[in-house]
Amino acid sequence: MKVTYRWLKEFVDFKETPAELAGMLTEAGLEVEEVEPRIKPFTDVVVGYVNKAEKHPNADKLSVCEVKTDEGTYQVICGAPNVKQGQYVPFAKVGAQLPIGIKLKKAKIRGVESFGMICSKEELGLEAHSDGIWAFDKEYPLGADVYRLLEEEYQDWIFDIAITPNRGDCLSVYGIAREVAALTGNPLKPIQVKVEEASSERVEDLVKIEIHDTEGCPRYAGRIIRNVKIAPSPEWMQQKLEAVGLRPINNIVDITNYVLMELGHPLHAFDLATLSGPEIHVRASKPGERFVTLDDKERILPENTVMICDAEKAVAIGGIMGGQNSEVSDSTQNIFLESAYFKPERIATASKRLGLSTDASQRFERGTDPENVVRAIDRAAQLMVELADGEVVQGIYDVYPQPIKQNEIPLNTERINRILGTDFDKEAIRQKLLSIQLQVKGDRVIVPTFRHDLSIVEDLAEEVARLTGYSNLPAHDRATIPYDMPISEHERQMRFFREELLALGLQEIFTQSMVKKEEAFAFASEEPIKIKNPVSDDMAFMRPSLLAGMLKAVSHNLNRNNRNLRFFEIGRIFTHFDGKNIPTQPYSLAVVITGNRYLPAWNVSEQWVDFYDIKGYLETFLRKIFLDNYQIILYDKSKYMTPEETIAIQSGDELLGVGGRIHPDVCAVFDIEHPVFAFELNVDVLTKHVLFERQYQPIPKFPYSERDIALLLDEGITAADVVEFVKKNGGSLLQSVDIFDVYQGDKIPAGKRSLGLRLRYQSAERTLSDREVDKYFRQIINKTTKHFSASLRK
Amino acid sequence: MNEIIEKIRAEFLQDSKAIKSLKDLEPFRVKFLGRKGLISSAFDRMGELPKEERPLFGKALNELKKELEAQYQELLNRFKRAEEKGHRLDLTLPGRKPFAGGRHPLLKVADEIKDIFRGLGFSIEDGPEIENDFYNFEALNIPKTHPARDMQDTLYITDDILLRTHTSPVQIRVMKRQKPPIQMIAPGRVYRRDTPDASHSPFFHQVEGLVVDEGITFADLKGVIQAFAHRMFGKDVKVRFRPSFFPFTEPSAEYDFSCVFCGGKGCRVCKNTGWMEISGAGMVHPNVFKAAGVDPEKYTGYAFGMGIDRIAMIKYAIDDIRIFFENDVRFLNQF
Repeated sequence: MKVTYRWLKEFVDFKETPAELAGMLTEAGLEVEEVEPRIKPFTDVVVGYVNKAEKHPNADKLSVCEVKTDEGTYQVICGAPNVKQGQYVPFAKVGAQLPIGIKLKKAKIRGVESFGMICSKEELGLEAHSDGIWAFDKEYPLGADVYRLLEEEYQDWIFDIAITPNRGDCLSVYGIAREVAALTGNPLKPIQVKVEEASSERVEDLVKIEIHDTEGCPRYAGRIIRNVKIAPSPEWMQQKLEAVGLRPINNIVDITNYVLMELGHPLHAFDLATLSGPEIHVRASKPGERFVTLDDKERILPENTVMICDAEKAVAIGGIMGGQNSEVSDSTQNIFLESAYFKPERIATASKRLGLSTDASQRFERGTDPENVVRAIDRAAQLMVELADGEVVQGIYDVYPQPIKQNEIPLNTERINRILGTDFDKEAIRQKLLSIQLQVKGDRVIVPTFRHDLSIVEDLAEEVARLTGYSNLPAHDRATIPYDMPISEHERQMRFFREELLALGLQEIFTQSMVKKEEAFAFASEEPIKIKNPVSDDMAFMRPSLLAGMLKAVSHNLNRNNRNLRFFEIGRIFTHFDGKNIPTQPYSLAVVITGNRYLPAWNVSEQWVDFYDIKGYLETFLRKIFLDNYQIILYDKSKYMTPEETIAIQSGDELLGVGGRIHPDVCAVFDIEHPVFAFELNVDVLTKHVLFERQYQPIPKFPYSERDIALLLDEGITAADVVEFVKKNGGSLLQSVDIFDVYQGDKIPAGKRSLGLRLRYQSAERTLSDREVDKYFRQIINKTTKHFSASLRK
Repeated sequence: MNEIIEKIRAEFLQDSKAIKSLKDLEPFRVKFLGRKGLISSAFDRMGELPKEERPLFGKALNELKKELEAQYQELLNRFKRAEEKGHRLDLTLPGRKPFAGGRHPLLKVADEIKDIFRGLGFSIEDGPEIENDFYNFEALNIPKTHPARDMQDTLYITDDILLRTHTSPVQIRVMKRQKPPIQMIAPGRVYRRDTPDASHSPFFHQVEGLVVDEGITFADLKGVIQAFAHRMFGKDVKVRFRPSFFPFTEPSAEYDFSCVFCGGKGCRVCKNTGWMEISGAGMVHPNVFKAAGVDPEKYTGYAFGMGIDRIAMIKYAIDDIRIFFENDVRFLNQF
């Protein structure tokens, strides 16, 4: 909302400077976003007197002038037809800085030198277009600085104020003036409205108004103004409208806009001749109804839109926009002027569904003042007499079957203080409420209809706080908190997982949760969750896997030659939606790696990461989070992993996640050519199985003994099978079984694989003798070779 | 007897001259000082000597052993030093670097915010990102036709199910399941239908704060925000509260911190105002209490929000929000 400093002064006498006023308004909740001078500063433009003006010897349209200032006389070429000897003019000297962005230089025009310029209003930034130079209508002292002169007489400041949605009453100059009056402690001047009704006709005899939809339109008033002369509105009105951001059109339209800005009440002027009847019927729209608004667009009306109709047809969308079929044109003679009060919710809904927001709808949906209906229509009628020579027909046709009541709020001093932490007495509160035009009767506060946003005592508390200044309210520097507050279990678990991932040397990333269709479908086992009104196709689906966002990050980096990546992320994924209830959105945890196994260096040979790297990260992570009981199974059911290089982690019957190599087809969706390995775990399932902490195990006091053996096995026998067998049958002193070597090749028969096993024996009670260990070792090797039909590799 | 000693010593001297490198040293050691070396054999052959000569010979042999060992040690050191001089490490060559992980800067700032509030006695809560209309709007006193819905353009899954536009729904969830006293924050991702540019992202991150108990006032809210500002940006930061409007608080406020770049004097970043807008706050609206099943006659409370992205951008002087979500390692490595 834009207002000007001078316009506000029409309603309140205040002394504060524009900057001071801006500060006060901001502190009071009317945030002044910008204060802009109406006249942009310029320099070295002084009052000059045109001594002589003669035709240029070489150009018909130019004059050679002699301009006198307090410093001397200058020869100046002027192109304006209206320059004459004897004028007092704004004279820009050489070096002058003009607001339109020019710095004036000495010039030679068609062979004659020119030392400066006689300015038009346009050149001084005072109007958009000038037809000639600006000749002053007063004799100012020669050499006086023109900017200074203007500053005193014409300078104004445009305030751009952000109005919060509850303060519809401040969407007008008068509404803001009301605040200014309260804040500066000066009285608010009443608006003087005086309509001279010239015609002998009565409005009731000329038109009929009926409201069929009193819910949507509780009040509708009309006036008729005859014989208006459509013309441009006067300069002062055009300037004020332009200052607050409205484009002047003609006097009638400008008057309705002027009243809109001044009082905050939208009006609509119909060409009376176009209204059939003439009758006005206010009703709700019918399903499928169409209407052409005055911007020439045909619109399909949402059901239950308030429509203004004549005897035959719709003529306006109530409170939003007039119709093309009834708008005021250059040939309009008689005006039917509408001033109504519409129900805010109805206008808000219609405006939203239509995708049409206007100055009128913005005010009606925030709630206008029903008591302003008459004042606004009279103010406009008065201006139509003054500025368009209109003749006002007697009376207002005012339909208002059920007047809207004023809110009443109990004046509960104790509660106001309890909310604010203050100790105001009742009188102090009363004074503050009176300053914003509320009435206080005993223990009741009566709220005028323009402040319909005030309905409960908390609202009064805010008014008291606002008028005191939030900065002046107390602030506590200590609090009493119960010791026994609930612990955030979820937060604790997330921290635990994150810290362990960071300890693995992984980089945390934070990726987008909205992805494009192909990216979502690449990971979804069922239809991914779709956004109805996405920002763009790139963000139309919710990620069904963290990998959807993470591979995007991988791709971004690979495209910029950042090749060696070790990423992890924890975040929500969006998996199952039944169409009715909030979808399941479990937390997920994923690690993605690609590139070199070791960071490249002069003494490191290049090796690419492979399946065993991601498996190593997975196993180490599971060890660090104390996941004790899990099985790794071969898994070929993943939609996005390479089946030959994928495993799954299971605990009991529950699938915790999968790991392995991302399928090349999925990489292709992200334009990734490199092999990428990843694992992703469902955190919500994981937390059920993880210990988070456990008690300490004593470190063995006695040394261990190790024995190595290489077994020659059929290549179909998996390492896990062998290790499991050895562990199970190796006796109670066998602590661990590791694989230290795997070989397949020329040195052993085809179809065979050699597995090097390292068995560790240890006792908690004593040091084991070599002989004892050898015995157990021989036993298990014999069992194993027999079981797997293996031989020993020599 | 002495001949034997002298012979060994002479041979030792002779052989030592032939040693050219560290690798010649070992056979040399074995020959004289090894288990079956000349000195050992001499000891072994002591039995051949008359009984009375044995102690003397033993003593002389022991001395010889010590002498030769010392000389051998010297030789060893000399050749070792020579060898090392041959391949000395060039210490200016770069080291082998391990992969070093790190936290994402936005989550690092979130951690910092959480730690500050944990220190002030707040619990940390969490809630779903896909919400329904009730939690995101209705319960927060934002009915369907409320003009405040224009303030936030919402992304919808269905007419009723949507991507939460703020972290405020967590307030309702916590109040519904927990009796006051409540003192919590809820950090998390929120969504708006904004076209991405340097200062907008269709998803960003907020921290919601809620305190409900008997006797909680606006003065407590002012105090907590002040304490947060000091811990986050230092003691010199000033806090300003301005009246504002949110349907779920009454009175409502917007709060600003004095500009951390210019100290409040006015600069390009704060558009010469000296202040940086942080976020909104206020006293919980009685309608919100009612929707969440809290008695507004008995309890009062305050709520506040803040943007994690915004605070991170201020803290690290980042001027484009999108850089957080590109996850370029050249960016991430800076934190």
